[in-house]
Amino acid sequence: MLANQIGYYSLILGLLLSVLLCGVSIKDFKNTHKQINQNVLSLSFLQLVFVIVSFLSLIISFINSDFSNETVFNNSHTTKPLFYKISGTWGNHEGSLLLWLLVLTLFIFLFLIKSREQPKKYRILTLLFQQIIIIGFFLFVLITSNPFNYLFPIPNEGLGLNPILQDPALAIHPPILYLGYVGTSIIFSSSLAAVTQNYVSKQWGQHIKKWVLVSWIFLTIGIMLGSIWAYYELGWGGFWFWDPVENVSLMPWLTLTALLHCIVVLETRAALTSWVVILSITTFTLSMCGTFLVRSGILNSVHTFANDPARGIFILIFLFALIVLSLGIFFIFHKENNKSSNNFFWLSKETSILINNWFMMYFLSVVLIGTVYPIFLDVISSEKISVGPPFYQKLIVPFLIPFLLFMSLGPRLKWIKSKIENKNSIIITFIISVMLTFFIIKNLTTELLFYTVLISAAFFLFFTTLKELFIKRFNNISQTVSHFGFSLLILSILFNNILSSEIITNIKIGERYDYNKGEIFFKKIEERKESNFNSIIASFEIKDKNGKTIELKPEIRIYNQPVIITSEADIRTTLLEDKFLVMNLVKGNEYFNIRYQIKPFMVWIWISVLLLSFGGLMSLFKKKYEK
Amino acid sequence: MKILKILIILFLITSFSELKSDEVNDILKNKILKNIRCLICQGQSVYDSESEFASSIKLIVDRKINEGLKEKQIYQFLREKYGDWVIFDPQLNKNTYVLWLLPLLLFLFGGAIIYKKIISNKK
Repeated sequence: MLANQIGYYSLILGLLLSVLLCGVSIKDFKNTHKQINQNVLSLSFLQLVFVIVSFLSLIISFINSDFSNETVFNNSHTTKPLFYKISGTWGNHEGSLLLWLLVLTLFIFLFLIKSREQPKKYRILTLLFQQIIIIGFFLFVLITSNPFNYLFPIPNEGLGLNPILQDPALAIHPPILYLGYVGTSIIFSSSLAAVTQNYVSKQWGQHIKKWVLVSWIFLTIGIMLGSIWAYYELGWGGFWFWDPVENVSLMPWLTLTALLHCIVVLETRAALTSWVVILSITTFTLSMCGTFLVRSGILNSVHTFANDPARGIFILIFLFALIVLSLGIFFIFHKENNKSSNNFFWLSKETSILINNWFMMYFLSVVLIGTVYPIFLDVISSEKISVGPPFYQKLIVPFLIPFLLFMSLGPRLKWIKSKIENKNSIIITFIISVMLTFFIIKNLTTELLFYTVLISAAFFLFFTTLKELFIKRFNNISQTVSHFGFSLLILSILFNNILSSEIITNIKIGERYDYNKGEIFFKKIEERKESNFNSIIASFEIKDKNGKTIELKPEIRIYNQPVIITSEADIRTTLLEDKFLVMNLVKGNEYFNIRYQIKPFMVWIWISVLLLSFGGLMSLFKKKYEK
Repeated sequence: MKILKILIILFLITSFSELKSDEVNDILKNKILKNIRCLICQGQSVYDSESEFASSIKLIVDRKINEGLKEKQIYQFLREKYGDWVIFDPQLNKNTYVLWLLPLLLFLFGGAIIYKKIISNKK
């Protein structure tokens, strides 16, 4: 009750502070002092504190199961374990927006502390642009999605959290993802500020690259966590469904990755200034679009857990205003300076980065059009079409081949003008890749030629980067690690795809099922009671063709609040393959439906994504920039 | 051109590969089921779902495969019965020209911009 009041008034105070902060910083802008007035920093800190207090009060309401709070009532239940009471705070619309606000205010405060060497006017303008976003979100939360709505009479029990969201990976997935998502707001604000001050330069590039890296790392890991969750909880062994909500997180990732490459050109060559600014604006706009698409409920998706048209309209107007504002600023203030630095030979690092951006933008267009087009078509002609995995695979996978080849060759090039060195070793590596691929997959797939070309390209990148790592030491190690991670990712996904096998059957207790490569024995079931669910735990013995037996225990959970039946897979992970078993009830029958899958190299998908982001981390902590 | 060739070759290979045994049938069935939307679920495929709708579709697909229908014919059958919404792989027709071709046009457009930029640098 008390926490509720504190949370609500902290939000209002936070909003008032935004207005005050704008006033103070505009006044300070005209001041001739070299450093920003200390008051601005203190106010920004105070604003952060208020949002933290508000966020903590919501957490406390959740912990205490205070059902006088509507958000808690809708998303919690007394029997839920403490951990999920807490994670339930951001597992819903209102709470997740509060998290948005928290990250927005946190990042601008960190920005102010970390940018002391930057020009004062640029810093103040960044703060102002960020405050515009923050005010927008304060209003959005307070008007359409107040997390502290009061309920009377107070209900005795809450409605509970959707059980599929009660999961450790999903508990930390939103905060990590949001750090990346919302982190792009700083890039947006500061690029606008830099444009107004005509400060899009090498220094700015070096300074903002850190923020690009931070957002990129969090976004990468956040997407991966979501994917891991989908793997063992949602899908039947799938880890990426091209679901609209997944696409929405992939889109800013693609532009952010393009930006990350482009910013390297800016910080060393002071070129491509317009493109960097456009990418910065686009990245944040896509993050906002994502929020709009998910929150407005116009997407048909497994993830849509709350929606309301008023919210959609608010975000749409806000988004529109931000786009108009940023484009206005871009066209009025932006001057393409320093013409000479835009000159480079066709064979150069600049070109290779442009090619990276070219492909990134193409992938973005596929994902964006694939996600948005069905909605437009529905509105215009009320014809409903589904755009699913086959569409994305057809348009993206063939393009990976040239993309991977460029990725192997590009980083070897030098700035301005370059020539290809060690042609022989490149050719040898390429031939080895092709032969190795052909040797491995010749009996595995019906689409031999296509897969040979595709996997060869991936192996080519794999060997080139591997050679770089071990032979030509530490040329640009962070980049090599990331590219190596990417080649590993593509290889693991492809081999996982080609080599996966599965058995689907109905089976009852005590029965044996023979398949051509082994045997599944359904040993027994046990029942167990937890505070918020009852579960049926089965135990299966699976014998493979070498006679090795493993025991897997998939589970069926019957949650009490809300009443939902979920299947929990049991997964045995080894370096080579995952063994994945999940079972389902068959209605009015003593049989259980089981799916047993062998998924090779599953763990390498996660490892390679970690490597990819580890490369980013290394770049972030690189002491001095290498020329 | 290279990409186009690859696409054509891929297409030829996929359309000429013949079904051989029950195991291949099962793989085909799962592939088809993954491409069918479960109409009463939220964004799940029939393959992923245990709903009654999904179960009945699974039976239909099973029967159609045994009747010897090709993958495309099964999709067509389902499209006629439930509309385009039911298949995750959109057809190329007047409704979807933009969907399929716009990304490719943008790709060509992007390539043209880069080409122009490099040519102008040469001078």
